[in-house]
Amino acid sequence: MKEKARSPEKWDLAPPYGAKTVLVVIAVFMLLSVSARHSEVDRMLYLLGEAGGKVVGLSDSSQVVRGAERVVESMFPPKISEQTPVARIEGFDRDNLPLFSRVEEETITVTRFDVSAMETVETEETREILVQPFGYLQYVMRKMLETIEIALWATIIAILLSIPLAYYAASNYSPNRATYGAARSLVSFFRAVPELISAMFLVLAFGFGPIAGILALGIHSAGFLGKFYAEDIENADKGPQEALQAIGASKIKILRYAVLPQVLPQYLAYSMYILDRNVRMATVIGIVGAGGIGQELIGRYDMFDYGHVATILIMIFITVLLLDQIASRVRARLI
Amino acid sequence: MIRFENIEKKYPDGTIALQDINITVPKGQFCVLLGHSGAGKSTLLRLVNGLITPSSGRTVVDKTELSKRTIRSVRRRVSMMHQEFNLVKRSSVAVNVMSGSLAEVNFLTSLIGWFPKDIRRKCCELVHRVGLGEEHLHRRVDHLSGGQQQRVGIARALILDPVVVLADEPVASLDPSASHEILALLRSLSKEHGCTVLCSLHQVDFARRFGDRIVGLEQGQVVFDLDPDKVDQQALNLIYANYDDPHGQETVRAARVENVVDTGVKRP
Repeated sequence: MKEKARSPEKWDLAPPYGAKTVLVVIAVFMLLSVSARHSEVDRMLYLLGEAGGKVVGLSDSSQVVRGAERVVESMFPPKISEQTPVARIEGFDRDNLPLFSRVEEETITVTRFDVSAMETVETEETREILVQPFGYLQYVMRKMLETIEIALWATIIAILLSIPLAYYAASNYSPNRATYGAARSLVSFFRAVPELISAMFLVLAFGFGPIAGILALGIHSAGFLGKFYAEDIENADKGPQEALQAIGASKIKILRYAVLPQVLPQYLAYSMYILDRNVRMATVIGIVGAGGIGQELIGRYDMFDYGHVATILIMIFITVLLLDQIASRVRARLI
Repeated sequence: MIRFENIEKKYPDGTIALQDINITVPKGQFCVLLGHSGAGKSTLLRLVNGLITPSSGRTVVDKTELSKRTIRSVRRRVSMMHQEFNLVKRSSVAVNVMSGSLAEVNFLTSLIGWFPKDIRRKCCELVHRVGLGEEHLHRRVDHLSGGQQQRVGIARALILDPVVVLADEPVASLDPSASHEILALLRSLSKEHGCTVLCSLHQVDFARRFGDRIVGLEQGQVVFDLDPDKVDQQALNLIYANYDDPHGQETVRAARVENVVDTGVKRP
């Protein structure tokens, strides 16, 4: 039987927060301030304030501003041309020069040590060089294309891997608890290993080049896609699934006809996001030797060719910006 | 033919959904289950295709007793319509109708979305029979009205020439005129195909008009089992006596009006 209702003036409606909440807030604040000292947040704020002061003319010197100025100076102007001595080009064909390029003569001073005279002799020599005004830019573009291709194949591998993973990691389709648990932990494991780390080891196994990059990115993003796909399968509308189950369709057919049409737009949106993310990550994993533009970036950085580095960074920036635009347009059309 | 023998269904929390059910529905009959929500209509329907297994008792469908082993073969001969239609909203009418044949079609070709020619022809024929046109074939189901969606539901249910059609409150989410059309269509098509229909309803007038027989359920038990013209107020009181029935209980409505007058509230 139901309890007799109390009159409204005796109802219990507690205030939204009390002393306990205040105590928790104070405790969190104290913990954060301890952690801030640990991770030098206080120094960061001081340096940022100093830099801000320098910019508006309040303080005379700032370590941060000086460093930033040095970087900008050394990176400017971005290097887009390339000059190669003709003698170093194998099978050089004078009648069939690459696009936009020309051959120039250059006089250089060569310093030699003359053994017979026991002194250094400076001689002037002329040599031919191939000047390509956009040569380096073209090279960076080719590398960027390679990077995008790495990302594309990584995404394809991730999709192919995550479809069976999602089936076993969806609690309502996995054949039993064991397969469900195994698939779930595999998916978490894939996500837990950062692609930069797995790329390092894959480079050891497969050598320098795109293979390591494709695999590292593919496995990592399969972890994401597997989780997303599985959750979508679990949350799909149960009605159509029950309808097909009732007429005796097998599990795979139910997935294909009752679940897939429901989740497909969402899947495509996830996959687009993963592709977008893989392009950004593919520019980075080259740093450990896994192919793409990152490999060029780290090489130039180590040789202090900051002009080249600037070109690469601008290229990456433009590519990511463009991809972002394309991705958001495609996504808007799909949903 | 459907036969329930001494069916009892208890849920793990102790509620008794069905008790002592002995019903035989002969071939070709349009049998209506009548009762309020929670009386056990849906549970009884779902016993037929094994979506629910009884705690005890036997279900025999088309000379096959339902068990783990026979469930697949029974489901191929039994189709189902649902209150919320349970169509795949983003798929086209054609795909929804043809997906009714999934139990029979080849596994690999069905995965790439391919249906054999006879199924495609059958689909067109049925879409026409349920009153939709060629222009609807490729339309997405969620762009159709509720009545049209349930027509698609009927077509899907009939594509494999089932022996039994289960209709779980097929018109509960439709307006009265659409309900009327759907039930008339279901009745005529099932008579034409010679299928047995087990249909749960809660509108008494529809049950009287379209049923060959009405089985009243109340708290998991059969309280009457009569020809439609023999179902009188006395019988209906057995199912609706304790409930405020929204579908035409004059006495209850009158009592409410009296109450309003008694408390002295002025009605507009």
